[in-house]
Amino acid sequence: MPEKIGVYFDQASISPFLKAEDIAEFVGKVFANECPVIKCHPRLNTEEGRKLIQEDIDAGNVDAVLICGTSPRVDWDIFNFDNVMVERVNLREQCIKVFRNPDGSLPDPNGEVPELLQIMANEYVKMGLMKLTKGGLSEAQVINSTKVVMVLGGGFTGLTAALYAAKTNHDVILVEKEDTLGGKAAGMYKTFPLAYPYLEAHVTGIEDLIAEVESNSRIKVLKSAELTTLEGAPGEYTANIKVGSISEELPVGAVVLATGWVPQDTKYVEPMGYGSSKVVTAAEFEAMVKAGKMDASSVAFVLDTRLSEAQFAAEEETYANRSDEEIASDDADAKTASDAAKANGEEEEDFVYEDMESYKHLPYSSELSSLVALKQANYVRELNEDGIAYIIYDHMMVPGVNERYYRAAQDDPGIMLTKGTVTSVTEEGDSMIIAASNTLLGENIEIQADLVVVPTGMVPTTAHDPTINLVYRQGPAFPDLKQFDGYADSNYICFPYETRRTGVYAAGCVRQPMTMGLAREDAAGAVLKAIQCINSANHGVAVHPRSGDNSYPVFNFMRCTQCKRCTEECPFGALDDDEKGTPKPNPSRCRRCGTCMGACPERVIGFDNYNIDMVGSMIKQVDVPDDMEVGGPRFIVLACENDAYPALDMAAMRGKGWSPYVRVVPVRCLGSVNTIWIADAMSKGIDGVLLLGCKYGEDYQCHFVKGSELCDRRMENVADSLKRLGVEPERVVQSELAIDDYDKVSDLIDTFVNDMIKIGPNPFKGY
Amino acid sequence: MEKDIRIKPDLQFIKELQAVGGDGVKKCYQCATCSVACPLSPADNPYPRKEMVWAQWGLKDKLVNDIDIWLCHNCGQCSDLCPRGARPADMLAGLRNMAYQKMVTPSCFGKWMSSPKHLPKLIAIPAVIYMVIWFIMAGVRGSFFPLKDGNVVYGYLFPGDFTIDPIFMIAFGFMAWTFYRGVKNLIESFKDQPKVFAVGDKSERPSLLACFVDVCRNELLTHSKWKECGETDEADEQKFNGHRFIMLAFIFLMIVTGIVAVTHWGGKIIPFLSAIGHTPMPLWHPVKILANVGAVMLVYSLVLLTKRRLNQDESQHKSSYYDWYLLGLIWTIGVTGIMCELLRLAGIAGLAYPMYYVHLVAVFMMFVYLPWSKLGHLVYRTAALTYARYIGRLPMPVREEKTFTL
Repeated sequence: MPEKIGVYFDQASISPFLKAEDIAEFVGKVFANECPVIKCHPRLNTEEGRKLIQEDIDAGNVDAVLICGTSPRVDWDIFNFDNVMVERVNLREQCIKVFRNPDGSLPDPNGEVPELLQIMANEYVKMGLMKLTKGGLSEAQVINSTKVVMVLGGGFTGLTAALYAAKTNHDVILVEKEDTLGGKAAGMYKTFPLAYPYLEAHVTGIEDLIAEVESNSRIKVLKSAELTTLEGAPGEYTANIKVGSISEELPVGAVVLATGWVPQDTKYVEPMGYGSSKVVTAAEFEAMVKAGKMDASSVAFVLDTRLSEAQFAAEEETYANRSDEEIASDDADAKTASDAAKANGEEEEDFVYEDMESYKHLPYSSELSSLVALKQANYVRELNEDGIAYIIYDHMMVPGVNERYYRAAQDDPGIMLTKGTVTSVTEEGDSMIIAASNTLLGENIEIQADLVVVPTGMVPTTAHDPTINLVYRQGPAFPDLKQFDGYADSNYICFPYETRRTGVYAAGCVRQPMTMGLAREDAAGAVLKAIQCINSANHGVAVHPRSGDNSYPVFNFMRCTQCKRCTEECPFGALDDDEKGTPKPNPSRCRRCGTCMGACPERVIGFDNYNIDMVGSMIKQVDVPDDMEVGGPRFIVLACENDAYPALDMAAMRGKGWSPYVRVVPVRCLGSVNTIWIADAMSKGIDGVLLLGCKYGEDYQCHFVKGSELCDRRMENVADSLKRLGVEPERVVQSELAIDDYDKVSDLIDTFVNDMIKIGPNPFKGY
Repeated sequence: MEKDIRIKPDLQFIKELQAVGGDGVKKCYQCATCSVACPLSPADNPYPRKEMVWAQWGLKDKLVNDIDIWLCHNCGQCSDLCPRGARPADMLAGLRNMAYQKMVTPSCFGKWMSSPKHLPKLIAIPAVIYMVIWFIMAGVRGSFFPLKDGNVVYGYLFPGDFTIDPIFMIAFGFMAWTFYRGVKNLIESFKDQPKVFAVGDKSERPSLLACFVDVCRNELLTHSKWKECGETDEADEQKFNGHRFIMLAFIFLMIVTGIVAVTHWGGKIIPFLSAIGHTPMPLWHPVKILANVGAVMLVYSLVLLTKRRLNQDESQHKSSYYDWYLLGLIWTIGVTGIMCELLRLAGIAGLAYPMYYVHLVAVFMMFVYLPWSKLGHLVYRTAALTYARYIGRLPMPVREEKTFTL
């Protein structure tokens, strides 16, 4: 805990609305003991300003630095001093820039400092000081990590990833389920172009890649192999791999998941005519061409999958809306089945993985289906000079550089393209008839073709199987993949490759259907992530998104009641537990979001630089006037520092402002918000708490996946406690705010404030 | 409900179309910029977008029976604005080239006209005919380059009455007859075109004659429709003026030929007429002056048109063989015609007669092959424009009715 705090005011940031000297004088009066050094400087983010601070540190006058001026989001590279804690008080963006008088008017820059602005600035400085005094430097928990990258899957992505990892001087274990390498690419006749000029399909080059991998001394290739379990934590995993009948235990640092895809069940394309001998899927067509068995001279590629989608969506709808009796009878059937299984002596499995394959994988694959149709249309033309290929699409999806390939294919006289709604696919004599409406030709058409090719839905391997087989308390699989219909994507916006298991990075078609060109990029990205993870474990620091954070949750096991909330709620499954339920932290799995801290009802979890007491004390720095009519109300905004806090800053920079009664307290994630903070605020007489976090649900934007969702659930629970205290539960409001919602921030806060004022003063005022 | 139409793409047709100027057709992605840009395209079912889609799919039946390809005056705005370089204007020109090729029998002429490799055959026919005459008359006159009273007189070696005139009369008759069949086929191909007239339009359906008169007045003589295509840059002006002057030059030369023919053959009945049109004419003769003015205009317009074609941006407009064949032929006729006159006046028999021979061959080629050449548009387009008015695809000019109120 720091004892000698140096407080520095940047005059350039706060003039002319605030006088730095006034605040300095206030700090000197109130915190004389804690702050031996209090200085004002005309412009701190200069060489000279930095030198001023560095000299005080070097002279041993200060052991912590509080910089009052700009937002912590700027100049962080300048205000970075070794071995001292640095805290920033955001007096520019979130004080002078957003300050509005209670009547909504702007303060006069040349007049007196408004009293409310002075109070606001003083309180923010007090909060900053409190944050420093309640924090401390932590020592990293270094893991002596294994620098081995395990790549799961020996297809194009896996092979490429293995080579990339080997090229960065990491040992690689490549695990392939089949007895040969190459995966899906090995069965392809050609691939879309992977290099400039991107005009012609060419051979995949998979044989060369396999040879390169097999001759690389750093890569250990295990064929016919299966990962039975993956135990431990990033940097120190133990992989249990079964090759044939022999099991092997291998140390692994991080994992690249490149297990790819399997073709969708063909029942999903039956409404499009599949079942006839003259209708094949794209995967089957590829195999036909590869085997030299394609002799049709006119082939129709039906890319419009709405016939299938409509039918299966309707079935799903009917099932979802079935009557209660039907649900009861289905449940009874399931029970009888499981009872029968038990009676037969079969041991009941304690883990059942829900299969996530559905008709939706057809539209999910449509970008690939578009490209595959173009590629295969070219096969038809290549194999037969007079061959004709028709492509009827609903959407021709060829983003990015693939537009060039589309153009080249379109330029072929024998490739006929039209947008259209396929209304039927029927057999007529020796050929197939495809009827389509809404075509580019301006009329309903019928096309006759020797063969019809329907798309192949690409179902990720993780839709059928946990694949990763972790020995984690939260189970062997990636959680909540149902949300993504089985794709091993964490849906981190802007953060591909990330999964919800630190140390496991997805690449290729297991993540989303993609071309080989993209898969190659994916392999590189995932490998870099894996290496980064190993090195972070090696240095005892967090990986993305709090990269480099060396703190970690500290448990006070003395007071732990083994309620298991933290182990269950951790979005990354970082915490295991023993038989009694005592949590067992795995620092290298942890991403330092603080969800465990927010979850703990006993408040036994905290970080050295972020804990319950710290934020609680910060909230207590807000002086609440006894009479709301005289001194005004007071509100706390707990803002997620990933998205909401930057949005507030951006709103300020764009000249937005809001009520002068609001104090913003940044939090790591709404998931880390402990209900005690709400209770503290309420008992102090704060009139309302606004929680600003990321969007949650299907298209969540939370950097820690579940934070805002968990917070929302906890706030429901806190409502009861508040009611018991006699406080209106409506005083706690959670809002979703994206980083680009800066234009909405001002209205959001002011609406909240007005709603709270309508409720009236908090009954706890004045106690 | 709309009936499903079984379509049968014709790959061969696409390839043929690409060979005659429509090679960009597959590049089209149906944005319809072309139809929006076209100043002439009717609002209802506009061209050339629909033609582009049909062509991409090789729907031959639709394209060969399409009247809209003749409504286009090839100003090229669609090609200028096409975001994909699909060159719709060239595609429509290609379709017209195909029409010249296929419109009428004997189809071998159409085929020979479509590619430079057949050019020797086309030249050979008149070359042999006139060479035979030359040989025979050389025997009669005792020299291959005979002089009459010390002067070069073309009619002395190639007598009009027995060689030139009969051959050209037959040639002209053949051409007229071919065009008659061609136009019949053309109109026949339009039989499935919908006949559209505005609802509530009380005006009488125009007669074919009225339509024809309107076409002559508003399209042919004044080029007024073409004027609507816009004259935005130098190239457009070159093209517009070049085309107008070349047409005027041909009209002048036609009048001259007409006068010569009428006075010559008319002179057989009314003797004094023959004196007016006796060739060679002195240079002060009004008919001669008209002929020379026509010749100069011809060359001037050829310069304009050739310059424009040479300066074209290949990515937006390409010139097909049909374009170059016609330009080349008219150049040959114009240059040899002028040279004939100059060499005759200079009295250089050794060069004058061969020059005249070449001139005869070129003129023969123009007339006899006219229905299969790009110049055939003179007749086909006129016929199509007339018919388009007749069926209501193009509007007749609005007749203003004077109303008087008390």
